Amino acid sequence: MTVKDRPRKRRSYNSSRMMKSAIIHAILLLFVFIALFPIYLMFNAALKTSAELFQSFLSLPKDPQFKNFAFILNEQGYKGALYNSMILSTSSMILTTVISVLAGYGFAVYRFVGKQWLFLLVLTGLMVSETSVLIPVYQLLQDLGLLNTYAGMILPQAALGMTFGVFLMTTFFKDIPRALIDAAVVDGGSDMQVLRHVIMPLARPAIMSLALIEFMWAWNSFFFPLVIATKQWLMPMSVRIIDFMGRFTFKYDMIAATTVILFTPILILYLITQRSFHRGITFGALKD
Amino acid sequence: MARFNIRPYIFIAPALIYLGIWIFYPILNALVLSFFDSPTGRSRDYFWVGIENYIKLLQDDLFLKSLYHNIIWVLLSIALPVVLGLLLAVLLSGRGRTRLVYASIFFIPHTVAAVCAAIVWRWIYDPSIGPLNWLLETIGLAGRPWLADESIVLIAVNMIGSWSYYGFCVLIFMAGLQNISPELYDAAKIDGAGALQQFFYVTIPLLRNAITFVLVYTIIGSMKFFDLIFVATNGGPNEASTVVGLRIYWHSMREGRFNYAATMSTILTVVILVLSVAVIRQIVTEDEED
Repeated sequence: MTVKDRPRKRRSYNSSRMMKSAIIHAILLLFVFIALFPIYLMFNAALKTSAELFQSFLSLPKDPQFKNFAFILNEQGYKGALYNSMILSTSSMILTTVISVLAGYGFAVYRFVGKQWLFLLVLTGLMVSETSVLIPVYQLLQDLGLLNTYAGMILPQAALGMTFGVFLMTTFFKDIPRALIDAAVVDGGSDMQVLRHVIMPLARPAIMSLALIEFMWAWNSFFFPLVIATKQWLMPMSVRIIDFMGRFTFKYDMIAATTVILFTPILILYLITQRSFHRGITFGALKD
Repeated sequence: MARFNIRPYIFIAPALIYLGIWIFYPILNALVLSFFDSPTGRSRDYFWVGIENYIKLLQDDLFLKSLYHNIIWVLLSIALPVVLGLLLAVLLSGRGRTRLVYASIFFIPHTVAAVCAAIVWRWIYDPSIGPLNWLLETIGLAGRPWLADESIVLIAVNMIGSWSYYGFCVLIFMAGLQNISPELYDAAKIDGAGALQQFFYVTIPLLRNAITFVLVYTIIGSMKFFDLIFVATNGGPNEASTVVGLRIYWHSMREGRFNYAATMSTILTVVILVLSVAVIRQIVTEDEED
């Protein structure tokens, strides 16, 4: 091939490549649209009056009805539900994260009798769902007098994410160079010192990922709270929201405003900490 | 072998005790409850009935229908969001930073609570004032009562699930693809492999871990899901979209037949376990054949 031929060849190569790239872009943009359009509709509907929504759900609101949110939070008493969601998510996040970090440390750093079996046992817990344990958990809460209490909502919720937590923390901690831990132990560091001064600084992003995911799960959780919190004052937002559908059938502006209130905190959290979310979710999947 | 050391047990004890109380004990307890019955709903005066509950369950058309719907849901979820997620991840591979932007956007629906998604889509699907039928009618197609039509309701609800799930799959597959070294593709190209061949002979085998994970995760999610269907249709119309989760909730919380519901829970656990192990086995065996 002479030097002269080159540019020409590259051009034809480029045009077929551009065609291909255009098609790929079109497909990707289609799925961006699919992902975001329902969310646009949701926010849009929440900011309109019923009448305006009935005319068009596509156009942007002429006069954004931010008072929809105030109406729901204050007059409909959903502020309390938001508070309950906050308590439920924060508490179960802390509970799960702390216990998972401790267990992860035990599993990742030590060798001990029965380790494989115990870890496998935890892993089988990943396959257990709310629906599988509903009845015994419900009866246990009943016996402990915890139905319709915050503790009753938080304790089983924390357990649901804990198998994932232990698994994630163990795989993360195993990646920490052994030499660093050994060095600390030789220097006479206790477990707690190793955990605090060696593991925690290195694993902070991992712990952060776990905490965020657990928070999201608890915030969005529905089944246990539905069954355990049957008193209105205790219901988290995800459960209280259902109430709206019965009372305001076809008041889609109000219904949408309620979903926006439930969704926005998580959306903001996700947008700020995407990387952390992604890391937590993909890490477990690929390290087995 | 090091001398016996109590310390690791102290670290894992809180987790094991906690999971023991809220996960493992309930699983075993559900199994025990399934062999008993009580004279009236909610009473705890259990008496032994052996496998009677299981026999009743096998004759319970509604339960069988719900289990069937769960299985259909697994298949739909694999056919749509999982396959789509894989294809989108492949399309995204080789793009620099924009890849992450796309993946982040695709993932946003996954952060929407199932309850929220169901509510929003109920409106989108609304036959008289919903956006979907309006859109279809604008381009000259006939609208449908999506959630009120027995023949399509399950697919229509699965679309909601798929909407929130495909971004999750993209993320997992994308991370898996990152671990494949580009040299393997170069080698395949030199051997004359086209894009499709590269996909089937390089991408798929090397994504084995990610594929196993997604399949197992999909099976577990599809067998246990509740929130979405509870809010979207509550199993209707005419139980055309009922699933096992709904039956368990109905029999226990509404009818107070705890033992019967516990039997369903046990079956559900077993089905999830068997399907997951089957997938893992299948893929691990293929691994050994290579």
